[in-house]
Amino acid sequence: MQRMFMRRTGLALLLMLAATALTFWLVTAAPGNVAALIAERAAGAGADGAMIQKIADDLGLNDPLPVRYVRWLGDALTGDFGVSIRTGKPMAEEFSARIPMTLTLLAGGGVLALTLSLVMGIAGAASNGGVVDRALHGMALVGASTPNFFVAALLVIVFSVWLGWVPTFGVSGFTSWLMPWFTIALFPASVLARVVRVNLQDTMSRPFATTGFAKGLTRRAVLLREALPNIAIPYMTTFGAQFTLMIIGAIVVERVFGLAGVGSFFIEAIRFRDFIGMQAILTLFVVFFVSVNLFVDLLAMLADPRLRRPRKA
Amino acid sequence: MTAPIYEVEGLVIDLYTPTVSVRAVDGAGFHVAPGETLAIVGESGSGKTVMTLGPLGLLPEGVAVDLRGTARADGKDILAMSPSDLSRLRGGFFGVIFQDPMSALNPMLKIGPQLAEQARRYAGLSAEAARKEAVSLLARSGIPDPEDRYGRYPHELSGGMLQRAMIALALAARPRVLIADEPTTALDATVQAQILALIRQIQKEDGIAVILITHDIGAVSVLADRVAVLYAGQVAEEGSAVDVLTAPVHPYTRGLLASVPDFRSDNASGTKEIPGIPPNQARLEPGCRFVDRCDRAIPACRSRRPRLQAVAKGTVPHRVACPVVIAAEGIVTHD
Amino acid sequence: MKNWPWAILAPALLFVLIGLFAPLIMTHDPGAQDYGALLTGPSGAHWLGTDYLGRDMFSRIVGGARTSLVAMAFVLLAALAIGVVIGSFAGYVGGKTELVMISVIDIVLALPSLIIALALMGVFSGDNFTWMSDYWKMIVALTMAWWANYARMSRAVVVAELQQPYIEAARVMGASHLWIFTRHILPHVLGLVVVYASADAGALVLAIATLSFLGLGVAPPTPEWGQMLVDGMSYIEEYPSLVVIPGLALTAVVVSFNLLGEAFALQKVPRAVRGRFLTRKKVARAAEESARKEVEA
Repeated sequence: MQRMFMRRTGLALLLMLAATALTFWLVTAAPGNVAALIAERAAGAGADGAMIQKIADDLGLNDPLPVRYVRWLGDALTGDFGVSIRTGKPMAEEFSARIPMTLTLLAGGGVLALTLSLVMGIAGAASNGGVVDRALHGMALVGASTPNFFVAALLVIVFSVWLGWVPTFGVSGFTSWLMPWFTIALFPASVLARVVRVNLQDTMSRPFATTGFAKGLTRRAVLLREALPNIAIPYMTTFGAQFTLMIIGAIVVERVFGLAGVGSFFIEAIRFRDFIGMQAILTLFVVFFVSVNLFVDLLAMLADPRLRRPRKA
Repeated sequence: MTAPIYEVEGLVIDLYTPTVSVRAVDGAGFHVAPGETLAIVGESGSGKTVMTLGPLGLLPEGVAVDLRGTARADGKDILAMSPSDLSRLRGGFFGVIFQDPMSALNPMLKIGPQLAEQARRYAGLSAEAARKEAVSLLARSGIPDPEDRYGRYPHELSGGMLQRAMIALALAARPRVLIADEPTTALDATVQAQILALIRQIQKEDGIAVILITHDIGAVSVLADRVAVLYAGQVAEEGSAVDVLTAPVHPYTRGLLASVPDFRSDNASGTKEIPGIPPNQARLEPGCRFVDRCDRAIPACRSRRPRLQAVAKGTVPHRVACPVVIAAEGIVTHD
Repeated sequence: MKNWPWAILAPALLFVLIGLFAPLIMTHDPGAQDYGALLTGPSGAHWLGTDYLGRDMFSRIVGGARTSLVAMAFVLLAALAIGVVIGSFAGYVGGKTELVMISVIDIVLALPSLIIALALMGVFSGDNFTWMSDYWKMIVALTMAWWANYARMSRAVVVAELQQPYIEAARVMGASHLWIFTRHILPHVLGLVVVYASADAGALVLAIATLSFLGLGVAPPTPEWGQMLVDGMSYIEEYPSLVVIPGLALTAVVVSFNLLGEAFALQKVPRAVRGRFLTRKKVARAAEESARKEVEA
């Protein structure tokens, strides 16, 4: 168990290294002369060769790539992600200003996706082929197919334009968070509801479910107490994958509602060729993806008694 | 003879999956009284399990079931019960031991607490008493170190220990009918005898009714008072264990017994297989189900469905569904 | 594929047909601006009204279908080809080469495809890539983000097939590697991968629209749904139809491909529930039949 823990953590760290090296190579080496860009931003058209050369020397852009990666990694580990070409502020500063916004989005969306998917999936399994089951199935299909920017637009039309309950733009107070949260939660909730439904159905036809009935439990009790714990592992792994995908939802939502988070910064960085900003955000994303998946894997291990308490030989 | 405590008559069960439909039970029935052990014998697929557990609603989900006939527990009509009444009946009145304990016990649940919960709900014990009861049930089922096993998960126990735990679980609600569905099939040969002995001991001590579903003639001879032989969803022969095992009449029962090595001491001719395979129960033919494999078949067997006829009177009537053998061997019938 | 619900293909097929025959279906030039008819509602002349530049919404939706279809086809075919080649090669050669290739595939798969595509769009914004048009940047970025899944699948099929006894037999009989691969293994790989791709198309349509919505995909004046939607956002308070119409078109297309994917998934896992209504009828029929036979006998 502990060895498995260590192994998974080690692999995750390795994956982070490889992925950041890959993005570093792509974003820093491939696009062209970053020094020229910085000079251009700083001095407008007046940037000359000497200035570009000086910037390149200062940033060590002329060193071989592996040297630059190791230096970058060392800086990143101490919290120094360089200075954004676009805003001229240190990325660490941008991070501390923007990460709370994106985290609030993801946390709220995650909780909402978790709740919605469990409620929908269990209600579907309880109905077992009935009207509720089929209606929820249809809803999940549409929910997993609607682009999140369209969801956001529809919410704005209904709740801001027609009903005037919440502002179309920005966030202030709890209610204004509801639209962004729902927007990014709909897709994962729909996918996860299907996972819950399908796995519950499968579990309900297993012999131990029959034992549950034989113990005198009602169908609802068998569903909730015998079948539900058994879908925890597939559910958690899919939840991890879906939670990382919510980054894309966050990018879209931050654009639609004008929220100053990490996602909108990423898009701005791409549009304004802020390669230092891009690299920093991508690193953040990689760390997020890998650690969420690692966390979920470890949690799944803990949830399964067969892995938690392997039989002594 | 005491009144039956679980009684099924004229049961017809059709099973449907999206692709196939099967008449698993076709007009069969049985009854069992307190203190009695009934063995239901037949090949796999003969409808033993479906007939016994079907009326209780204990067939796997995912298969659509259509069920007709009568089924009574302690005189009450099971098929007319509300779902919640039926649930209580399943939990308290019946105890079920399933075939494969490895898959029949929930891998995510500890063994002991499940027993304690049954004891609390159906025997009305307090939490503390229920825990003690659970530990003593485990001990009674022959599980060493029951205090330790109480908090174990199924994967931490061996197959034989798991089946003992399964038995303890079935007994936790103090049932009046114990249904053992092929309780030894999934176990090692050495463990099989121990499990059978355990069931017999429990039956003696508690005086409950036991239904043993099996294809193992050896287990029948060890445990059963009465035997019902099932073939393709119909009862071919029934009677006291002694009658059926020593003086079988139906060609299928005879074939079944002849295929068991060294079962009867006078069987010197060795074992004999019944030729052929059981009929396709998706097709419903009007005549005797065994006709294609029967060495005594006459043309009339194909068109007429044989009725059960009593060939011996007594407290336990011996009844056989084969007019051909009865007529050919001049056996006197009693109804 | 017996009993397969072929009708489920219809909506996806409709989308493909609209995309293919878009020039014949469009009533107007989707780029033609008409300042005399700005933001009009549906009418005989403009079936779905006009946008803020007086362009015909219906023709832009139809044109958008073509844009999506063409971009999707490019990416899907390229990703499929690259994935099959890389995956098959990895599976066939085995050893250390395979291990390295699997690791690369796993790294790519560890990141969401759209994030990879976005990152590549960023890379392509650099000086070294000015020779590519924005459209082709998007196609290349999506392809590079999409191939890994096909590579992993192809490799799995190849590895499984190589263990089949008939491959050994063919080898003993002196068949060349290329012959064994193209005649025996490739058909299996393509069988699985093409089925997966047809269901994957929906995700790709969504990705193209999302990139365009973020201003990093198809650029105006080419009609594209995601870009139509983001344009419409400025007018959402007064003219929500500018947002709703392309949104609905997009959702409809993604739903049709996802239905396809679900039908494929169901093929693998038969659902008993599906037969609920059927079974009642079958019970009745079987019972009648047996009753009739008993009477006859």
